[in-house]
Amino acid sequence: MISDIERQYAIEQFYYREARLLDGRQYQQWLSLVSESIRYVMPARVNALVNNRQRGEEAMIAIDNELEGSDGLGCPIREEGYAHLFVRVDRAYKMNSWADNPPARTRRIIGNVELLECGDESIRVRSNFHLFFSRPGSDNFIYSGQRNDQLLMIDGGFKIADREVIMDYANIDVPTLGLIF
Amino acid sequence: MNISDLVSDDAAYVSRKAWTDQRVYELEKKGIFAKVWLFLGHESQIKKPGDFVQAYMCETPIILARGEDHKIYASINSCSHRGLPVCRADHGNTKRFLCPYHNWSYSVDGSLVAIPQEKLLTNKPDKSLLGLKAVPRVESWRGMIFGCLDESVESLESYLGDMRFYLDAFFERFDDGIEFIGAPHRWTINANWKLPMENQLGDVNHGPFLHSAVIPAEANEEIFSVGWSAVPEPGHGATFRLMPEGTEYAQVAWGMEGMGAILGGAEIQEYLFEIQAKAAERVGGIRSRMKGLTYGIYPNLSFLWSNTSFKVSHPRGPNKVEYWSWAVVPADAPNAIKKILRTNYSSFFGPGGILEQEDSEAWMQQYLGSNIDFADDKPYFYGLGLGEEKPHPDLPGMLSVTANEYYARAFFLRWRSALEAVNDCCDLITSTKQLSVDDL
Ligand code: FES
Ligand SMILES: [Fe+2]
Repeated sequence: MISDIERQYAIEQFYYREARLLDGRQYQQWLSLVSESIRYVMPARVNALVNNRQRGEEAMIAIDNELEGSDGLGCPIREEGYAHLFVRVDRAYKMNSWADNPPARTRRIIGNVELLECGDESIRVRSNFHLFFSRPGSDNFIYSGQRNDQLLMIDGGFKIADREVIMDYANIDVPTLGLIF
Repeated sequence: MNISDLVSDDAAYVSRKAWTDQRVYELEKKGIFAKVWLFLGHESQIKKPGDFVQAYMCETPIILARGEDHKIYASINSCSHRGLPVCRADHGNTKRFLCPYHNWSYSVDGSLVAIPQEKLLTNKPDKSLLGLKAVPRVESWRGMIFGCLDESVESLESYLGDMRFYLDAFFERFDDGIEFIGAPHRWTINANWKLPMENQLGDVNHGPFLHSAVIPAEANEEIFSVGWSAVPEPGHGATFRLMPEGTEYAQVAWGMEGMGAILGGAEIQEYLFEIQAKAAERVGGIRSRMKGLTYGIYPNLSFLWSNTSFKVSHPRGPNKVEYWSWAVVPADAPNAIKKILRTNYSSFFGPGGILEQEDSEAWMQQYLGSNIDFADDKPYFYGLGLGEEKPHPDLPGMLSVTANEYYARAFFLRWRSALEAVNDCCDLITSTKQLSVDDL
């Protein structure tokens, strides 16, 4: 049995390695960190109407009021599986993926790693990220958001089985949300 | 400014200035956005009294709402007192909009209900004169709501003209029409508003080139062999594949090309085949064989049939566009099907889409390439297929292969006359030499 501190350390190391592979454009290696049954969702975000019957309560300004996720009947920005991620990774190594030729420079900082629920086979983890994005011939951008992950423990390592990416934008003013967050 | 210098008489040449000049942009507001029908929203977004969504007419914010009387209202979202936007949420249901500054309150139809300060005053203002400014003309067709700031505009149906024939090839397939699901994805791109519009109006011929990393060669072959570009009215456009009679459902049915259908298994395919089975009866033989690509409705609405999304290109100056897109599904589809179909849009399009990341980058780069000096004597070439478009016995408008840029020439000639009609100052752009194809 490993201690909570050891587990926290192992997961943080996993995320740092993941960020390094993505910033290093080693997307195929990144794909090996992903379960083939992955669900990768980015809810849409809106400026929600505040319900005045909820005044005085946390529910009135809850983040959830702003999200259109995969369970509802809105339209999430991304709802993907392994096939989508495979296409994205494959595209990155083609000559004619024009938006990334030449490729953007990125730097991911992962923080606030919180273990929410530890089962025998899987762990729910929340983390925050800032991603610096510099594309040739364009301004530089900062992406900011949160990831809610479910990680599977396999052979002493981890695989990402579920990732929900919550961006901190309603009006999207970054060049693309098609990156791997 | 000599507007005729921006677009040559045959529209085979279009100036860089048409894309970048602030004065051109002001004329676009005056000559186009103040005068023509603009898309505001879909009736499925405001079903119940009190339902509202935000919209824009160019840069002007609009509240589109269903009033207590069940009628549709469109008002300019700016308080009659000091101008603050009174509606602050993207959508919702409410009885009143309360202006933050001094708490004047308005009903969703735009009328002013209360001025809290008036009880302290002897002369009460006439509230009936102080409602939000109403958009003077609001009409819908097939659930699509449009507004126009010019009271004297022709009817919406006549404005759409024969574009309705092509839109109905889609709309009329479904018993209960279509539904816009969720809030629009709102994406600010450093590009001129006309380029996303031109892209969907008829430019399917960038597909095999800009998107060759992702779109398979067979899909492009199909566009080359059975693709058509139709211009039912200048400024509107439709591109589609006209599949041969007897084409199997898997190749012709609406929806089958999207990732949702490709990955969604038997259930979704059966659903789409059922719709196709009824298509001939509902929309007629030739239209049942139409497998749509991109549509454009002048000046800034697009419909991407293949991935089933409506899009509006809201200008934010010459150098920025707020590009809105919605996933669209049949209104009577079961929820599980709607959830699959929405990914036909979101997988490839919208701010996270695998394909549209290439488009949006191209649109930004086009602005950079247009906003340069020392090249005004070298306007862009719009002459591909000049004069090769023709009428068709069964399809309205002028028809051509998709490589023909007639769709864009027709748009820019309409655009040019709209600007000419309101151009009362002539000191603007430095003249560019007018070219025609003969000069080549
Ligand atoms: S500005 Fe709206 S109430 Fe004063
Ligand atoms: Fe494209």
